[in-house]
Amino acid sequence: MATTSTGPQVGVTLYSFTNEWLTRQFEVDTLLAEVAKRGLGPNIEIIGFQQFKEFPDVSDAYAEKFKEMIAETGLNPVSCAINSDRFLKPGQQPIDDAALVEYHKRQLRSAKKMGFSLVRYQFALPVHLLPEIAPYAEELDIRMGVEVHAPMWAGHPAVQAYGEMYDKLNTPYLGWIPDFGGTASRIPESMLDAARAKGASEDLLDKLKEVWLEDGMSHEKAGRLREWGMAHGHAPLHIQAACLAFFILSNHDPKSWAALVDRTIHIHGKFYGVSEDLVEEAIDYDTILPLFKDGGFTGTMVSEWEGHAYDMRDAFEQVRRHQAMARRIWGA
Amino acid sequence: MLPVERVIGEEGLAATSGGLKLAMRLPWYRSLPFSVVEVGSLEIDGKAVDLSDARIEYDGAQWPLSENGEKVDTFWFIRDSAFLILPAQTADVGSDHEVSLNLFVSPPYIPGMKRTNPQMSTLTVAA
Repeated sequence: MATTSTGPQVGVTLYSFTNEWLTRQFEVDTLLAEVAKRGLGPNIEIIGFQQFKEFPDVSDAYAEKFKEMIAETGLNPVSCAINSDRFLKPGQQPIDDAALVEYHKRQLRSAKKMGFSLVRYQFALPVHLLPEIAPYAEELDIRMGVEVHAPMWAGHPAVQAYGEMYDKLNTPYLGWIPDFGGTASRIPESMLDAARAKGASEDLLDKLKEVWLEDGMSHEKAGRLREWGMAHGHAPLHIQAACLAFFILSNHDPKSWAALVDRTIHIHGKFYGVSEDLVEEAIDYDTILPLFKDGGFTGTMVSEWEGHAYDMRDAFEQVRRHQAMARRIWGA
Repeated sequence: MLPVERVIGEEGLAATSGGLKLAMRLPWYRSLPFSVVEVGSLEIDGKAVDLSDARIEYDGAQWPLSENGEKVDTFWFIRDSAFLILPAQTADVGSDHEVSLNLFVSPPYIPGMKRTNPQMSTLTVAA
């Protein structure tokens, strides 16, 4: 269970086991038991809309059942990822502000009821709605961290606008959840290998690496590579496999996270492949993690393996290595 | 699609008194409202199937496919199959058919993104 910590803690998000989950290899109770048995907790994150059928409105009965599973496994439900679903009718106007605020409140109530201590929310929530939602989070006594996910990073205009609102509201109930995919140093070799396995050729991948380093939004860069690829005779399927990199990773300074440490309440330790000697292939953890320890962060970094987006490696082994890497760097 | 994603569900194709019934899986990592999922196209044995009278069956409820876009508060749980009911289609139990299904998904927190998810599979009709 949760202990009084003096430094950062490790944990895992069940999102790492997306492949095992989608192929129906586990139920919620057996997945929690597996995580506990392998010692990958006790701190965990769960995406509400991935694991809970009743989300966004979890019943009292299911919440009780979930709490029993938690008690049996000895896990600690730290974070519940909620979604800022604003575009419910494709091609039409987003839902109105009042409906979006209520959508968040429903998910906050469910997360609280199940015993989570914080939620992950998203920038799709317009910043001007924070003054309406923050008092509700305070009333429920559940913290909210907005996920700073690629292509965003500490210097992104949306992050800065949120930061100004955070300063204005000045409440401990609102904070950041850094996702390290925003400061990748390179495209993971395992992702390039997956594109190669689908038949993508080296000149397409070389062009991908070049465009990935350029400025611009993900979809603009994907458009640039698509245009180049089509003009050079590459198959749409190969171009599509290569474009994945634009949407899940971006290249910003790993040290830039220092600006967000003070209001960081939780971390997504995004990763793609940790080697046997405990080095992640694309994200420079040796530079990033000390910033949080030195800055006094005492929350949890959940290991978030996203290699499942393109390959079928053993997720449990990857998470074990990622946590071992974090302990090596943090000296815990 | 991602390595384990699929749009043709494990339960496959079945002949029922109400027509053919095809299992579908949601090609995403989390549950989504039905309103952001569109049946792009369906072909059986190379022939396009008219979907104008098709219905969706999910979790004990049924509605016309044409009303799917209004289902903003009915969530398709990522672990479940939903079923496409085709009232005018028939097939013999035990016969094999080549089914091509394409689902479009527009994630509700990523404006403008629309993913196409084609899959083709040879299915044996169950009773």
